[in-house]
Amino acid sequence: MLLTPEIVPGLLATGASARVAADVAPRFQVGDLIRVRNHNPATHTRLPGYLRGKLGTVERDYGVFAFPDTHAHGLGEKPQHCYSVRFTARELWGATAPERDTLRVDVFDDYADPV
Amino acid sequence: MNGIHDLGGMHGLGPVLREDNEPAFHEPWEGRAFALFASTFVFAGYTVDEFRHAIEKIAPAHYLESSYYEHWMFAFEEALMKRGFVTREELDARIAQLKNGGH
Repeated sequence: MLLTPEIVPGLLATGASARVAADVAPRFQVGDLIRVRNHNPATHTRLPGYLRGKLGTVERDYGVFAFPDTHAHGLGEKPQHCYSVRFTARELWGATAPERDTLRVDVFDDYADPV
Repeated sequence: MNGIHDLGGMHGLGPVLREDNEPAFHEPWEGRAFALFASTFVFAGYTVDEFRHAIEKIAPAHYLESSYYEHWMFAFEEALMKRGFVTREELDARIAQLKNGGH
């Protein structure tokens, strides 16, 4: 396939979005407490290492996207929900972190377990 | 992949510096590198995730010392070599030609 002028605006607007139009049930609801899996593959993942094993709260469901861990290696889209999950600074960085600081990170269904 | 790209929470890297009136591109070649994403993405048919993984495979010390769009160039080269559009030898020959003042 060759790049034509009609393709460019959409590509730039979405940043080559990996959103998938698939009807997949979410494993979590907004407000759920989740624990991030100790997921540490030698292949591609979008899970930051500092989140492994941490507790967070689902704040928003973005919808369904291709799963980066399989999609990066030609292993299929494995479409699933991706969430904005809130972690407290103290959960991530320990007791000396500022008490009120929080961080939101995009977390795929396959990165987390219910608590 | 647990590599040098996964910098979150690391100490000793200094503050994040914010540039006033930051231009979209600091060098003309960066604009050309940006445009290469659209063309190579469409004709080479890779995914954003494959592109990101290529960047993760940059040797750790080089990763830290190279710029954002240098990382992109590395990912383009990886994707195009993987699909046989270009070889390492062809890229090296072109780089040598440019270094020697060629066009």
